Amino acid sequence: MSIFAELEAGIVATSAEQTRAVARRLGQALPQNATLALHGNLGVGKTTFVQGLAEGLGIREAVTSPTFNIFTLHRGAGRILVHLDAYRLENAQQVEDLMLDDFLVPPYWLAVEWPEKIAEWLPVDAVHLRLSIVSAGVHRIALERRPGLF
Amino acid sequence: MLLALETSCDETAVALFDPSRGIVEEWIHSQIALHGRYGGVVPDLATREHLRNVVPLLERARERSSAFQGITRVAVTKGPGLAGCLAIGTASAKALALSLGVPLVGVNHLRGHAFSPFIALHAEMPNEFAERFAACLPHLGLIVSGGNTLLFSLGEDRRIRVLSTTRDDAAGEALDKGAKLLGLGYPGGPLIERLAAKGRIDAFDFPRGIGPRSELDFSFSGLKTSLRYLLEKMTPEQIAAAMPDLCASYQQAVVDALVRKTSLALEQGGFRSVGLSGGVANNRTLRAALERTAQRARVSFFAAKPIHTGDNAGMVAFAAWADPAVACVTSGDLRIDPSLELGAV
Repeated sequence: MSIFAELEAGIVATSAEQTRAVARRLGQALPQNATLALHGNLGVGKTTFVQGLAEGLGIREAVTSPTFNIFTLHRGAGRILVHLDAYRLENAQQVEDLMLDDFLVPPYWLAVEWPEKIAEWLPVDAVHLRLSIVSAGVHRIALERRPGLF
Repeated sequence: MLLALETSCDETAVALFDPSRGIVEEWIHSQIALHGRYGGVVPDLATREHLRNVVPLLERARERSSAFQGITRVAVTKGPGLAGCLAIGTASAKALALSLGVPLVGVNHLRGHAFSPFIALHAEMPNEFAERFAACLPHLGLIVSGGNTLLFSLGEDRRIRVLSTTRDDAAGEALDKGAKLLGLGYPGGPLIERLAAKGRIDAFDFPRGIGPRSELDFSFSGLKTSLRYLLEKMTPEQIAAAMPDLCASYQQAVVDALVRKTSLALEQGGFRSVGLSGGVANNRTLRAALERTAQRARVSFFAAKPIHTGDNAGMVAFAAWADPAVACVTSGDLRIDPSLELGAV
């Protein structure tokens, strides 16, 4: 089954490593210049997920939380992964002010935490995932919305 | 004399540094009050504030230096930081260097923190700094801030080598996000510290994010998640009643992880001093614990002065002078790098 079909049904992860493994598979399947919107609260594993995504893209650099600088850049394998934390953004205009376009150079992959903050800025073909906690140590990752291309 | 500019995040700062005297004067315009209302730095507001403040601060430096007389070099933070904020600082520095006809250097903000514990050592006896600094090397440094948690070594040749970093959240971020989960304000670290003073450090058992004993890397995201699990099991009344204990235990978990990894790096050997810098270096519990660690290992301890722990131009000026890796650039070639790492020049 494709990672997209599995995510549509929802995948349960019981460790950070399992979360990373799911993300690794998605990283291998996502086309270039894709935007991944990661919905979910503080502590559900969004940054952990992006770590796996980077591995799947063949980027070996350590992926750490982008909260402080709003976005971080990770380069490797001729690719760039832009990791954006939109928590402190309120609208699309504020995204324009980030100079993000200077760094979204194809082939790029953009992962967005707190995407609902900048919903109108996100491309229509963004892949939306919802991360949630079922119970202590049990996290669920599910595809919320996906474009028709897969 | 060197003029430095720092605009990487929410402080606009300018400093004048004379290698034969130390920091002549420095100015900081903080935006904390502004961003406090939003629970964190808002990028476009920060950029606009820099735009408003940078010229008035440069005016003061101009008055202090009799119209920039004696300025032989302009230094500016080129990263890491918020892209829009860095752009204001570098554009201003380029213009200033061009108009004065002096060289421009781009400084890695993290290298500013790395050298900042030694600003005071230099100021004591500027002419004897080279020998006194050499006696502290190799040096083990810990940088702890809202955006970074790093252990590095500073070799006898003053070269920086990164020993470990955080795998996820920075220590300051763990404190800020913990504060957010606890319903406290911003900035979270100082609020947690204040409440922690009245609490018990062993009231709650939080994971230390230590990982394998032999590894130097830090990890704080598990700590944040465990606080969330704990709070979900408590009623609002229970949380309010236990707030000092929650803060004390949570802060201690962060401090313990930092101290243990620093001790481990010290054991690996050969260091003659330990340094502490970055915004979280102001945390008294951390400062005291690390100082004890240094004493036990019989090495000298250097902590950055409070004015040089946050974002400041004094440390940028000092690193531009003390760090052998800093090189002049042609104005047009200076590029910002929002994700610049400590190991990069």
